[in-house]
Amino acid sequence: MRKALALLAIALIAIPAFAQTGDTIKIGGIWTLSDITGKQGSAAALLAVEEINKSGGVNGKMLELIIADDEGKADKAAAAVEKLATVDKVEAFIGGMASGAEVGKIPAYAKYNKVVVATGAASSAIVEKALGPSPGSDYYFHLHPWDYNQGASYAEGWDAIQKKFPSIKIKKIFLAYEEGAFGKSSWDATKLLFGADKRYTIDGAPFKSALLGGGDYSAVLEAAKDFKPDLFLWAGYDADALPLLEQSKAIKFTPKIYLGAPPGWPIGFGSSKLSKNVMLYGMWSPSMNDTNPASKKFYDAYVKKYREEPATYFALLAYDAVKILADGIKLAGTTETAALVKALEATKYASPLGETITFKPSNIIKHQGITRQKILQWQNGFQEVLWPFEAATAAPVFPFPAWK
Amino acid sequence: MALKRRATILAALSAAATILILLWKPSVINNGLQQAGLYAAIAIPMGLVLGIVHIVNLAHGEFMMVAAYATYFACRATGMDPLLAVLPAAAVTAAFGWVVFQLTIKRALKAPELNQLILTFGIAIALTQAVNILFTSQTFKLQLDYVSASIDIGEDTFPVWSYVFVAFAILYAVGLKLFLTRTTIGKAALAVGQNPKGAAIVGIDVNRVYGLVFALALALVGAMGALFLTKQSIFPSVGSPYTMKSFCLVAVAGIGNIPGILGASLLLGISEQVLRGFRDTRAWADIVFFVLIIAVILGRSIKWRKS
Repeated sequence: MRKALALLAIALIAIPAFAQTGDTIKIGGIWTLSDITGKQGSAAALLAVEEINKSGGVNGKMLELIIADDEGKADKAAAAVEKLATVDKVEAFIGGMASGAEVGKIPAYAKYNKVVVATGAASSAIVEKALGPSPGSDYYFHLHPWDYNQGASYAEGWDAIQKKFPSIKIKKIFLAYEEGAFGKSSWDATKLLFGADKRYTIDGAPFKSALLGGGDYSAVLEAAKDFKPDLFLWAGYDADALPLLEQSKAIKFTPKIYLGAPPGWPIGFGSSKLSKNVMLYGMWSPSMNDTNPASKKFYDAYVKKYREEPATYFALLAYDAVKILADGIKLAGTTETAALVKALEATKYASPLGETITFKPSNIIKHQGITRQKILQWQNGFQEVLWPFEAATAAPVFPFPAWK
Repeated sequence: MALKRRATILAALSAAATILILLWKPSVINNGLQQAGLYAAIAIPMGLVLGIVHIVNLAHGEFMMVAAYATYFACRATGMDPLLAVLPAAAVTAAFGWVVFQLTIKRALKAPELNQLILTFGIAIALTQAVNILFTSQTFKLQLDYVSASIDIGEDTFPVWSYVFVAFAILYAVGLKLFLTRTTIGKAALAVGQNPKGAAIVGIDVNRVYGLVFALALALVGAMGALFLTKQSIFPSVGSPYTMKSFCLVAVAGIGNIPGILGASLLLGISEQVLRGFRDTRAWADIVFFVLIIAVILGRSIKWRKS
């Protein structure tokens, strides 16, 4: 019996050692694979792995990305973490998009205490709160801005745009927001960031997204039309984009600025006449290739490998997550959590998104990457960056044209 | 007599409420009517299969989704307008429905209704997942100028495109009424629905009638798939909420009461828009649907007990 216990103890000590001394470093990537963000995110992560392995790997070992599907659901996301940690024995995690799915992963992430470089989840009230403060959440490196980061950067952006382009004056803002967690948190952040100092008059109304069985925006658009906003902003999903514009046109609702903030845009949106001069919030557009060599390098490699254009900035976030993690492992010389966390804290990564990513504390967690988003505009079928000005690819076209 | 008086009071109250809403916010009636048209045009084919031949089709909305996808890709490939695709979409969906019926539903007709529920629920999941795998969950939408059509009355602008759904709903209700009462196959369908064994004894090919009615319902759903595409974005799960709503509208109208679906849809469409018209009640609009079905079922139970 004693002999058996001794053998078991040796085995338990030896297993992690063997896992770390293999020829590959396994990374678990979890996305919603049926969604464009997950499809292109996982593809971009594989591209990054391929590039790293082609240049000799990390500390003499090849990277191996094992992809799992969370189906956009919290329970499936938790199961994916369990499977990757116990069956595949990955040494770190990347991925994520929807906050509702991400929150399901957190108990399992905490249990295995491996480094996570998260590419999505903006809801602070749901995800950041669930992660909790340092040191309990120090394993978690969050690349995507939190909702309050996004709100603050938009407020900063609009201030800067109004200052630089005096013809653009915003006093009244109307937010049409989808009824779910994403829309509600956007509404709360908008009220807080734009309405707090009374510089702006804010109003808003919820709508049922087409994605959840809605698709009739007449009531919310009429409320917006009655309010006569300078800036009309909608926070919903890609399924809402064209129907919202069509129904706005039907009631001749023409705000001075028409802005959408979905996580992605429908295929071919740029080729629609209705897209003309619609503004948007985002992180990246192919137009940045002209001004940012890292963006062009990523874009060309992605198009060459997959013969399609990256249509969502989540592709770049996933690509960045692999590169940042690889740099961290290189510096730490191990995937052991404490050493890797320390190495990642020294990250200074020039992203194709057009900024240098470092990790700083946010409201609750210790490791927040990007805090600023961009203000863009659809011009002649392409997304052009308006702000930050250092990444700008075009000047704003103002006001939004009257419907013909 | 009492019933007649009650109906008169109800009609008077409805008319008064409509006039009040029209004076307060005419757009509510306009939008409510159009929304009701969409609900009714999708629900009536379900009313046909559920009410007449008693097939519980939980894949109803998913068949519409498949028709919408087929129409979208046909239109993208050929440059055809989805309005021109209404008849081909109806024909293709009917043929698809016939095949699905012969391969699956036919074999569960004599089984308990729960088996039909599980079977059609399985078909719904299979269709959604198949489309998801083939086209991902990315949304697709055709951009059509005419869907933004509107008329100006005074200072107000009223969208009008969705009246096409109202027209189709009325066409479906009237057409089905004529089909069921004036055609041999329609009368046979009613007979099969009332007494399949008796219908078989008098020489009606019961399975053929079931299949034809199912295919006819899917033809109507297929046509709606093409029309739906004019107004809405499509994605794999777009049909599922309409299955639920259609099921409830059929239940509210009373199983087998196809014209009643028009009334139930009107009630739902207008109620939703009234609630959305007020700031404090906007979030409650979705609950109307559940309140309506609970109220109707409770009302019927009380009435049944009294009788």
